[in-house]
Amino acid sequence: MAEAWAIFRRSPAAMLGLVILIVVAAMTFIGPFLYHVDPFEIVWAPLTPPGEEATIPLGTDNLGRDILAGLIAGGRATLAVGFAAAFITMVIGVVIGAYAGFHGGIVDDLLMRVTEFFQVLPPLLFAMVVVTLFQPTIVNVALAIGIVSWPQTARLTRSEFRRIRTLEYVSAMRAIGASDRNVIWRVILPNALPPLIVSATLTIGMAILFEAGLSFLGLSDPNVMSWGLMIGSGREYLLDAWWVVTLPGAMIFLTVLGVSLVGDGLNDAFNPRMRER
Amino acid sequence: MTLTTGFTRRALLAGVAALAALSAAPPLSAQEVQTGGTLVVASLQKPRHLNAAVQSGIATAVPAAQIFATLLRYGETFEPQPYLAESWQFSEDSKTLTLKLREGATFHDGKPITSDDVVWSLGVVKDNHPFSSMMEPVESLEAPDPRTVVIRMKEPHPAILLVLSSALTPILPKHVFDDGQDIKSNPKNNLPVGSGPFKVTQFEPGQHIILERHDGFFLEGRPYLDRIVIRQYQDANSGVLAMESGEAQLFPLLDATRLIRRLEKAGNMAVTDKGYAGIGPINWLAFNTKNPALSDVRVRQAIAHAVDRNFVAKALHSGLSKPAIEPVVQESPFFTEDVERYDFDLDKSKALLAEAGYGEGGNKLQLRIDYIPDIDEQQRAVAEYVKAALAKAGVEVTLRSSPDFPTWSQRVSSHDFDMTMDQVFNWGDPVIGVNRTYLCSNIREGVIWSNTQSYCNEKVDKLLNEAGVEPDPARRKELYAAAFKQITADVPVHFINEVPYHTVYSQAVQNPPVSIWGAMGPMDEVWLKQ
Repeated sequence: MAEAWAIFRRSPAAMLGLVILIVVAAMTFIGPFLYHVDPFEIVWAPLTPPGEEATIPLGTDNLGRDILAGLIAGGRATLAVGFAAAFITMVIGVVIGAYAGFHGGIVDDLLMRVTEFFQVLPPLLFAMVVVTLFQPTIVNVALAIGIVSWPQTARLTRSEFRRIRTLEYVSAMRAIGASDRNVIWRVILPNALPPLIVSATLTIGMAILFEAGLSFLGLSDPNVMSWGLMIGSGREYLLDAWWVVTLPGAMIFLTVLGVSLVGDGLNDAFNPRMRER
Repeated sequence: MTLTTGFTRRALLAGVAALAALSAAPPLSAQEVQTGGTLVVASLQKPRHLNAAVQSGIATAVPAAQIFATLLRYGETFEPQPYLAESWQFSEDSKTLTLKLREGATFHDGKPITSDDVVWSLGVVKDNHPFSSMMEPVESLEAPDPRTVVIRMKEPHPAILLVLSSALTPILPKHVFDDGQDIKSNPKNNLPVGSGPFKVTQFEPGQHIILERHDGFFLEGRPYLDRIVIRQYQDANSGVLAMESGEAQLFPLLDATRLIRRLEKAGNMAVTDKGYAGIGPINWLAFNTKNPALSDVRVRQAIAHAVDRNFVAKALHSGLSKPAIEPVVQESPFFTEDVERYDFDLDKSKALLAEAGYGEGGNKLQLRIDYIPDIDEQQRAVAEYVKAALAKAGVEVTLRSSPDFPTWSQRVSSHDFDMTMDQVFNWGDPVIGVNRTYLCSNIREGVIWSNTQSYCNEKVDKLLNEAGVEPDPARRKELYAAAFKQITADVPVHFINEVPYHTVYSQAVQNPPVSIWGAMGPMDEVWLKQ
């Protein structure tokens, strides 16, 4: 681990990503204590540009709601959706991938057909259907993104498991009579973890983008302020008031950039061939 | 100089045929009119079919008003004008209306339009049109001779003149449609043989409707245009881009105020809010009066006082929508100033809520608000504003979005809502578009735009019903004024704004459709300046 951190630290891009993420996290978690405004409260004239009024540094949206308050409150929801969706993706993907990869044969065939079924559905469309069928609440949005994103994780997990299960130490474990469950979760999974962590990181970024996309189409929880919601309700004003959409858009951009850079950094850090460099 | 002679003859005929429709338009000499050309109309509506006799709504009405003639038409005022009927008269007791048809009028297939066709068409409307109140009092329809139609009613029905006008009661060819099929699902509704100034030659759903000049139209020399293409666009943005690029020349029913302002600024296009007096579109906040909290009139009044309609009109709608204060729009002949207005007053709102047992010291009032999807500026933005505005009065509002119109419609019509944003049209006469929202007898589960508020006040019912059968316009107006005053006192709905429908047209378009029915009226007078 220490070795991985050393490699990670040496990459300027990865460190930049980490710094961005720390700043974003600080803003959304410490921000509410420093700048307390209800993101849904109408505080000033609608579409006030940033800088025009000292009390509302980033201006107001089409209803006169404070953009900065929206960015702070919205970050929490957006990050929560991102992490929750990534978590759901990992849980479903790893379980299915692990069993398919470990057992092979009929189990593998069956699970892979299911995976392929989900994989051929266009993810955005599928997510829209899920959100439309149920209510667009923040929980359902996270669920929908998780449900459409797991196949890739499952395939990745499966291939890792297929590779590792033939290694000698796994055979050794089985020879001394370890149960399948023990072998899968105690032996193979820890060794398959590095690429999965990278994949999970990238999934967070993808989920944030996904949430923004759904919101842009009007499919987000209207009662929870998120960056996606700000973009969704502000997009009509893009030509007259750039800040309404641009500022939450920039936040999403920065966050996803941060997540990807960190993900790439982790990939390098965990990849043994890179270590020899 | 054939043009000139043609138009001299036309000008002569104009006197005979009482072409009063032009009178309200800016004066122009007949010689100025240039005939020919194609008018491309940008539209966001998706009609299911083109037979307005069995289908209400703007989508069908706009093309149907071109394809079918009606007995009467209207200009910029609520004064009926001759159209297919050249004259009409009520009997002494106002219960019988006799109309004389124009001579020599023909359908698009060349067959003459007779009183038999008219009687049959009126019957189709009476039996099938969703607005059943339009023809409800009609007892019998008679055709004593090929040019005379007699409508007998069981009670006076002053709204009948408006009912006989644009897009509400199209005259269909009996010999084409009376074929034993259910008229509502008749495949001929897609490319109907009509009686109006234009005949439909192509209808590609989601793409365009092509209307070609009907050379045998019964108004001599009209229509001026050779062709109207109603082109469908996915959203207001793409429609406006088409206007800016010159691809379309007329864009009626545009309600996106930012875009309207943009086109206004562009300077090379004309923008008007005329043409919507008939449709009378109102955007409002409706209450489910069966909700325990909302059944208390003080709670509804408190909410009304907390929602500032001036903010909505000025800030949310770029100053382009007018505040609405009562069941009819300002341009309606029945508009009255004397109603409960609920001016913005947060203290009064809190006091009323406290009286009803909510707010400080009482229970926290929590309500849900629905809204029609895809009409963001009019519906979602106002719902979001209501949430923020009511928070200041101590009421917690949650928004419930609907993925599509049927979902919203299903929720509201099955009375599964607390409050909802809604848009309801006057359709020219209160009997058609107003009564339905307030009459006790119209609390009908499963029917959207019925009395989904479950509001019932016998006094209001009595006034509305009396007004409906009152032939004297002045007395009728008084009765409606009394009804509107009572309705606003009871606040089953909180009127917010008139939908800011505007018509945008390029400088080449002359005589744009600005009658009370706007683009839902015949565009036989529209012409293009080359």
